[in-house]
Amino acid sequence: MDDELSTELREMDDELDEMLEGEDLAPPQGDDWNPVEKVILERRSVRKYKDKQVPESVVRRILEAGRFAPSAGNCQPWKFIVVRDPELIDEMERDARRMCRLFRFFMDWRTSPLGYWIPWLLAQTYIRLLHHELHPIPMGAVFAISEGNLSLFHGAPTVVFILEDFRGVSKPKVDIGCCGQNMVLAAHSMGLGTCWVGTIKLLTFTPKWRRRLGVKFPYKFCEAVTIGYPVGHPDGMIPRETVETDWYEDGRKRTTF
Amino acid sequence: MGEFTLFEMLRIPTYDNEDYATTGRVTIDLEKCNGCGLCAKVCPGKALYVAGEGKDRKAHMHADFPQCMSCNDCAAICERDAIFVSVPYFFPFFFKTQGKGEFSPPRKF
Repeated sequence: MDDELSTELREMDDELDEMLEGEDLAPPQGDDWNPVEKVILERRSVRKYKDKQVPESVVRRILEAGRFAPSAGNCQPWKFIVVRDPELIDEMERDARRMCRLFRFFMDWRTSPLGYWIPWLLAQTYIRLLHHELHPIPMGAVFAISEGNLSLFHGAPTVVFILEDFRGVSKPKVDIGCCGQNMVLAAHSMGLGTCWVGTIKLLTFTPKWRRRLGVKFPYKFCEAVTIGYPVGHPDGMIPRETVETDWYEDGRKRTTF
Repeated sequence: MGEFTLFEMLRIPTYDNEDYATTGRVTIDLEKCNGCGLCAKVCPGKALYVAGEGKDRKAHMHADFPQCMSCNDCAAICERDAIFVSVPYFFPFFFKTQGKGEFSPPRKF
């Protein structure tokens, strides 16, 4: 068996070598995008899905792409939970909405029954401690969810939870990012739509979903990715801000955008 | 954009103050728009809505503090290229944008 496998692998390797022989892999200047670049540049977060369920084989294929992501010290600090039950997803949405309302009760000085100053002080304190989570953009999302204008999983038929191994090497969260991005790009290359949902943090403040989904030490919730068939054609190239980049070369510094 | 001062680092803007925060803004070409409403459906901040009847059915942006994060999802899904983000979102002080240039589609080098 092992022999067969290794012969097969060697054959594949030889084939690849033949294909690449004599070819310069770097494209000429101004060349068109290759298929991989195209998927990367056209990927957009999809927030409106068709009712159609994604076949299991396709989801397995996407998870396989995630399995081969790079990780620090090859620690592979991830585990996946695939949720495809609409009832379970609905229940999560309801719980998230409830948590958002609770959040607004304590933090939103505009509408809180606690008055103006207590929520204002709480918000000002916590924003200094959790400036990622309480950035104005996620706060806007929390308000929208509590009002029922935004749903947690955007009506996606399949949700993949990526759990983080608490004991991962170096920065496990970065590895989770690599793993998820692999899955997301693989999904888009198959014509599916995906969206990262970091807002699942709302479900982790109580032990309910940890128990329900059997998330135990050393695993904890990190991110979720929704997968489904998009409505319309959301994948496409769009303009975006350029990034200031410093180059140190030939003994001097220059900046490009 | 420039550097941060100590005051800016310590001053964290609140979410509701329209005097400070600038949300993203879209430009809608009303001649091209056919009011299909896809952009309003996919908008993560629900900053767009469709109004009007028959030929006048067009997409609009909420005038009052729309929660637009200039993600351009509306531009990507629009089949008639009638909508695009013209102003990126901007929060001052601690959250101010730094080291970003103009809007540009993917470039070939």
